[in-house]
Amino acid sequence: MKAAKENGSLSLVLVGGSSGSFTIFEEMLKLVKNPLSFALIFVLHRGKSSTAALPELFKKKTNVFMNEPFHLDPIEANSIYFAYPDYHLLIGSDRRFYYDCSDKDFFSRPSIDATFVSAAVSGIPVKAAMLFSGSSADGAFGMKTLAEKGFPTYVQQPAEAEFSRMPAEALAACDKHQILADGNLFSVINDILQ
Amino acid sequence: MEYTELEILITRIREISGFDFSGYARPSLLRRASRYLTNHKMTLDALLVHIGKDGRAVYDLIQDLTVNYSEMFRDADFFVKVRTAVFPYLESYPTLRFWVAGCASGEEAYSLAIFLKEAGFLGRSLIYATDLSNKALTAGREGVFTLGNARTFSENYLAAGGRHSLSDYYHVAYNKAVIVPELRRNIVFSMHDLTGDGVFNEFQFISCRNVMIYFTLELRRKVFRLLYDSLSMLGFLCLGKRETLRYSGLEENFKVIDSALNIYQKIR
Repeated sequence: MKAAKENGSLSLVLVGGSSGSFTIFEEMLKLVKNPLSFALIFVLHRGKSSTAALPELFKKKTNVFMNEPFHLDPIEANSIYFAYPDYHLLIGSDRRFYYDCSDKDFFSRPSIDATFVSAAVSGIPVKAAMLFSGSSADGAFGMKTLAEKGFPTYVQQPAEAEFSRMPAEALAACDKHQILADGNLFSVINDILQ
Repeated sequence: MEYTELEILITRIREISGFDFSGYARPSLLRRASRYLTNHKMTLDALLVHIGKDGRAVYDLIQDLTVNYSEMFRDADFFVKVRTAVFPYLESYPTLRFWVAGCASGEEAYSLAIFLKEAGFLGRSLIYATDLSNKALTAGREGVFTLGNARTFSENYLAAGGRHSLSDYYHVAYNKAVIVPELRRNIVFSMHDLTGDGVFNEFQFISCRNVMIYFTLELRRKVFRLLYDSLSMLGFLCLGKRETLRYSGLEENFKVIDSALNIYQKIR
């Protein structure tokens, strides 16, 4: 596929989470300083009836451009994107977003695995991928795929997560992840975001 | 699975069956093919051998790679808008033709039929429900759903502003929900390939929701052209929530009825 933008570099920072992750996402957005050299992509499990537009909800946290992208929208640096409820958000090798309505992963659509795996094979460099609290096994396979491709991956310390299962599954599936513990959580995230 | 491997699979499927996935969006196709391998505990090499050795296997794989997920009254707000902003306009027509393109097993066609009945013009409406998958169309014609699905569909129906109870429109038999014959009479299920087949009728309303997301940018343009050519002047085109007319080359020919729900009206 042809690149949407032939020039200019693009890298991704991926963030996934479920129950118990919302406040971490909010805190993370406060650390975002303009301009970002990468595209920051959040996949938060939400029910299909979730009507909260996250960019609207988070707009006071940062001045950086935020949206819930449409199908085929180009992925741009210095932008924050949120996965839309009831669709899987996929990363194309042509630097565009793609949607998919196929089966749920671990009862979730959007699924973290769907986005993370597509990013891992997209050919676009992943600066960092992070996985936080949640009560399913979603994300473990995506994080493993990213780690095996040599991208830096960070998992919240399960004992410190509100719901430990999601980070615990990721750590059980792969031993290459770095652990984000309360002591270093936001300082590491802050370093990643600069 | 990597993109290079996916291309090998696409070529092999084309050689064996003639079915060409080359116009399909790679990211979702890759996801589906990878899941197929995982679910069947197969390697790509084993799959390539498998589809080559007997006639059915490749067609089963094609079905799996193209099948769409659907629900009755999916996106309740969309159906509310259709009823309030589109139906009043269509009411004046003596006969009406609707097209549900990429209908999967008919959930959306039945949803439309129910609302047309409640609006009082199902009798002069014909709904064409088309899909690529024969298997899905057969299920659609039968109008049979699991009771578990019927529960979700009932909730959607009420959220969409349904005036009765969804159970008024189906019978329960052998632990399944079977749509009443009256609704089925006005729906024609037939096979149509949006990527290869042409215009077959003129419609006042086309719903093609969450179908275009599976096509490449180039093929998508071609399919948009087909939908445009199949619409009567001032007819309505409905797309999925994350789909837009952007990048279609036809933006100027439509008026936006609802930008969040992606409902458009052909104006030139």
